[in-house]
Amino acid sequence: MAKFWSLVFLLVPILGVAIFAVSPGYKWWLPPDISVHGRTIDHLFYFILYLTGAAFVVTEGALFWFLWRFNSTDNRDPVKFTHGSHALEVVWTILPAATLLFIAIYQMNAWAESKIDKPQMPSTLEVMARQFEWRLRYPYPHPNLSDPQDVEDCKLGGKKNIFLVNDLHIPVNEEIVLDLKSADVLHSFFLPNMRVKQDAVPGMKIPVWFRATTTGTYDLACAELCGWGHYKMKGRLTVESRAQFDEWLVKKYQEQQATQEAPAAAKSEDSP
Amino acid sequence: MRIPKSAIALLPFALASMVFLAGCVKSDPPRFNLNMVEVAEKELTLEQQQTDADVLEALFGTPDDPFVLPETKLNLDKIRLAAGPVWSDQHGKERGLFRRHCVHCHGITGDGAGPTAAILNPYPRDYRQGKFKFKSTERAAMPTDADLKRILHDGVPDTAMPSFALLPDDEIEALVEYVKYLSMRGQTEIKLIDEITQVSEGEKLPLNREMLVDNLLDGAAKKWATAADQVVFPPEPPARTGSALEQSIAAGRTLYYGTIANCFKCHGPSALGDGQASDYDDWNTQVHKLEQALGDSDAIAQRRATIIKDADENAEKTRQDKELSAEDKETALKSIEEQKAQAIYALDLKYKVIEALPYPPRTITPRNLRAGVYRGGRRPLDIFHRLYTGINGTPMPAVGPATPGGKGTLTPEQMWNLVDYVLSLPYEAISRPPRPANPLAQD
Repeated sequence: MAKFWSLVFLLVPILGVAIFAVSPGYKWWLPPDISVHGRTIDHLFYFILYLTGAAFVVTEGALFWFLWRFNSTDNRDPVKFTHGSHALEVVWTILPAATLLFIAIYQMNAWAESKIDKPQMPSTLEVMARQFEWRLRYPYPHPNLSDPQDVEDCKLGGKKNIFLVNDLHIPVNEEIVLDLKSADVLHSFFLPNMRVKQDAVPGMKIPVWFRATTTGTYDLACAELCGWGHYKMKGRLTVESRAQFDEWLVKKYQEQQATQEAPAAAKSEDSP
Repeated sequence: MRIPKSAIALLPFALASMVFLAGCVKSDPPRFNLNMVEVAEKELTLEQQQTDADVLEALFGTPDDPFVLPETKLNLDKIRLAAGPVWSDQHGKERGLFRRHCVHCHGITGDGAGPTAAILNPYPRDYRQGKFKFKSTERAAMPTDADLKRILHDGVPDTAMPSFALLPDDEIEALVEYVKYLSMRGQTEIKLIDEITQVSEGEKLPLNREMLVDNLLDGAAKKWATAADQVVFPPEPPARTGSALEQSIAAGRTLYYGTIANCFKCHGPSALGDGQASDYDDWNTQVHKLEQALGDSDAIAQRRATIIKDADENAEKTRQDKELSAEDKETALKSIEEQKAQAIYALDLKYKVIEALPYPPRTITPRNLRAGVYRGGRRPLDIFHRLYTGINGTPMPAVGPATPGGKGTLTPEQMWNLVDYVLSLPYEAISRPPRPANPLAQD
């Protein structure tokens, strides 16, 4: 039979939809969303996915029908040539244009929420991306409010800061603003569970903000091919309560101020 | 339904690509390289190089199948976890950790000459000399396990050494053990090459326990085993807050610009690391010296010609010698020929070794103290150690006592002052440094 290829091409939309349908069961789908604005991002993602998915199925169906109906072995009808259809061209230009325009307007709030309307608050930490690690800098959480110098020192960029690497901790249910920088090349700060992805550009300080709703440990990855060690550029995000977070910062600061080797200093408890 | 010919035609391509991919899997097991710089420097013959390789394999095994004698006090289980090819066992436990994380920079032999080494500045550490920069022990002592763990955990900021903070503790420990293994192997090799060159002509290196264990292995093994006993414990620092801290910083500044500590000579009058920068570290010095001794291609050609000319003259003289019997003459001529061949081989080897090095020697840059980046750690304790014992393998001198209990260039209190000053530098505006009118005249 000469219908072999048309059936092979029919498999493409069928398998595509089938894989989509079973993906969540096999955990091939999006990682759990633990952020507030992640819903908006996921909604936009699904909206575009269903739109393009429908277009994909219709297009593939049409392709199958043409292959089936007009295959060269069975089809004896002569070929018909047309000189185009003005109405058809207008339709297939206006329809996608209108769709794109709709998406452009529809997503404006989501874009503004995550990239433009920065919360008016001091940054929670600074993230310096470099080949191939994430260097973090936190302000000290408990400034001595009666001492203006100490308040100044405890701010981000002051003398009393905590310096860490790859081990990103944040408090839960609080707005987080981080200053993203790069020490060398383009990197991309990617928190899949937080639905956050932002390029780090050398010479720029780019604010990134989000709010976590669930405690736990999650991945931090680099999402921009930044060199031969790109795959190594992995960090860990720990979301914890404010009290635990402050306690952890104070502990790290004390370790950083050590003037004597603590008896059990070599034993670190941040291993998973 | 009949499958069309075009689909069948694709079959050979599918098969061919499978065969092609399968071909990538099997290759020769990797081997440890000889310390060729040392071999070339000591002008080892091919036979001596073979002895070097054989003895080392007997003492330490191969990269896929490492082995250690109990005298090394190393834990073979940990070494095995880190050695060998990369794979995960049925419990998902990762094996071949060194090749997974380290080998592309530090090299299979731990010689700091992996494939990515050439694009890095500074070059990756070569473990084979047993010199480690960032440690809590006396200058010439080995680092403790905790020191090596700290470097793996935090990485070395400002270099290509990343942090491995997210690896589980047992994997970090396995890697530490493997670094010690490679370092001990390298140290043993340097000693072995030394022993080989001291064997007089016609004799062989005695391959007995006394030579192999007591003489070769024990030195390095003892050094590593006693590292923990040589940790420097700094005395308590003076108060590090308020006006006491300010006084300490001021005292540190005076010391920095003074001629006793002499910090500004290398780190520069502005502490930007813009002082003297023409020194080499120990790793680069060895190559640099070999290169200098060898000279350019003209010098090599000239030396080659001299070797040949001398040998020919010598041979001619022997032939003319009337007091020698025909038999003696033949022996003498043969030995002259052999010596000539070895001299040319040694000369060529030096040239080839330097040519084959993945990177040229490079001078060491004094640290910029205002960047707020501390390679060996930013704890005051770390800075104290850098000052007290200096940085092993680099021109950074020790200001502490040369032997424990002795008297150092600076007192511990002065060292703490310098620590405070160094830690304050990143926050001091360089255009308005609060310093005396003429700092260079102070002392």
